[in-house]
Amino acid sequence: MTSCAIQAQGLARRYGEVVAVDGLDLEIGEGEFFGLLGPNGSGKTTTIHMLATLVRPTAGSARVAGFDVGTDPVKARGQIGLVFQESALDRTLSVAENLRFAGMLYGLPKAEIERRAKALLDLFGIADKFHAPTAALSGGQRRALDIIRGVIHEPRVLFLDEPTIGLDIPVRRRIWRFIEGLRQRNRMTVLLTTHYLEEADACERVAFIRKGRLVTQGAPRSLVENLGRHTVEFESRDIDALLERARPTLGKGLKEGNTALFLHGHEDTAPLARLQDELGDLVTAMRVRRPNLNDVFLWVHAGADLPGGRP
Amino acid sequence: MSMARPILAVLQREVLKLGRQRTRLLASMVRPLIWLLVIGSGFGAVLGSAGGLSYQQFLAPGVLGMTMLFGAMLSALTMVYDKESGVMRMLVIAPFAHYWIVIVKTLSAVVAALLQALLLMVLLALLGYLRFTAIDVPVLLLGLLLVPFACAGIGMLAAAFTKTLDNFAALMNFVIFPVFFLSGSLYPITQLPPWLRVVAMANPYTYGVDLLKHALLTGVEGRFAPDFSVALDAAVLAGFTIVAVTIACVRFSGETAFDSVIRVLTGKKTG
Ligand SMILES: Nc1ncnc2c1ncn2[C@@H]1O[C@H](COP(=O)(O)OP(=O)(O)O)[C@@H](O)[C@H]1O
Ligand SMILES: [Mg+2]
Repeated sequence: MTSCAIQAQGLARRYGEVVAVDGLDLEIGEGEFFGLLGPNGSGKTTTIHMLATLVRPTAGSARVAGFDVGTDPVKARGQIGLVFQESALDRTLSVAENLRFAGMLYGLPKAEIERRAKALLDLFGIADKFHAPTAALSGGQRRALDIIRGVIHEPRVLFLDEPTIGLDIPVRRRIWRFIEGLRQRNRMTVLLTTHYLEEADACERVAFIRKGRLVTQGAPRSLVENLGRHTVEFESRDIDALLERARPTLGKGLKEGNTALFLHGHEDTAPLARLQDELGDLVTAMRVRRPNLNDVFLWVHAGADLPGGRP
Repeated sequence: MSMARPILAVLQREVLKLGRQRTRLLASMVRPLIWLLVIGSGFGAVLGSAGGLSYQQFLAPGVLGMTMLFGAMLSALTMVYDKESGVMRMLVIAPFAHYWIVIVKTLSAVVAALLQALLLMVLLALLGYLRFTAIDVPVLLLGLLLVPFACAGIGMLAAAFTKTLDNFAALMNFVIFPVFFLSGSLYPITQLPPWLRVVAMANPYTYGVDLLKHALLTGVEGRFAPDFSVALDAAVLAGFTIVAVTIACVRFSGETAFDSVIRVLTGKKTG
């Protein structure tokens, strides 16, 4: 890649005994829409904070928008927008006052801040809230305001830490469309983290991390395809027995609540029907479906080696 | 990037919030007036007058200082509030070195203290506690500059070592009140027992009150007179401010490096 917006080499961070991030290598291109995925506590927030110069890495290095985060943090911050997992707004101020405060911290003149603020509020469809008290906004509107706060200075690289967490589905969609709109407006590089994997389908590339280590990365489509042709779900009274009995045919499975998950690499589903007969009443239900990102996540979370390997 | 706009942003927010927190503003006016009227008449009856000055008149510099002390301290402690509420996130991600946050917050504490001091001076004048003929204007201007800075310095130092607002009451009891009581605000420090006098002389705020006495009580002789020279007062106040703000800057930048700011920001209470 010739122009990297974000580049990390062996990035690591320990907190005492806890290794929050463990030697992460990342290369994210200019203008790319990148998703950092992983279970809770896998080190997503710590990674973002290191890339945003707020947490000092204990090892490794990173460059963001051309600046080394360790030696040039102030210049790097000038090119960065960061929307924290939790709100950064002052709830005692109005929408306009919050954005004016945020914009002035970047040295923007008031008139320019007001112009941008109105355009951005309009993009989310809440232009009428310009003078509203922040405390009077709904959860989704407040989240949008937090994002607007993070892009008011038109950063080249935007970090979004769980931008849709805690919101209900229609609002999540709206936030997502908003981010898409921002990307088209400003052509910035976006790195986001999320738990909602169905959303991450919209990313151009995703990386799964687990215990601070990169497990796999790629376009969502190809990651899903690499998983195999089918995901097979069994319901059973005795999951452990089923996992054992199905293993010779389907390989190692995953226990997910009261279902067992397997990957089946071939288009041909005849072996699955035979297996179901063989297992008899150990199986109460069987479903065969196309894998999705959620499956990638589950396999990554389980720490299993990903099968496949087809490019 | 020039720091002018970021500084203005923080100052504007401070003034805006001060204007909205009517009770904070009211308390900052009522508190000194209570001391002046209630404590002043009580102690006045015991202490009498000296050098042609009633005890209440002697108290005027003390209560003016008190307004600046409380005003600057409460404003400086919004550092802690900002950490807890999350607004600090906007400041740490902004494109300037983190020690600027301490400097900018110090300036906004100074502005808050100054506004409250000016308001109180109007009230004191209206109530007849300011003797205009005894005011040394240049020294007063010096006092209105240096005292808020020193008080903000005390506040920033306290804020730099305070993690949560839960410690706030402790701070009031163990910082603000001792600083105020052991300062010569209420009694000439020459009247104190020797060990307390040493404590008072180690208290930078003592020199602030002393400077205000020079400013408001010119020509006073005897036990109500100032204890030190204007030059010493100014030197101590300026020196203390520089040292305190520097320590707070180092502490805050270091804190960022060691992530305890981030710990507050991410809501992680452990570790
Ligand atoms: N300031 C901190 N002090 C101690 N441990 C921390 C701190 N920040 C994060 N951790 C630990 O590092 C790991 C990764 O945390 P985090 O980056 O927040 O994960 P995620 O955002 O993926 O949920 C967790 O085990 C967490 O407890
Ligand atoms: Mg997180």
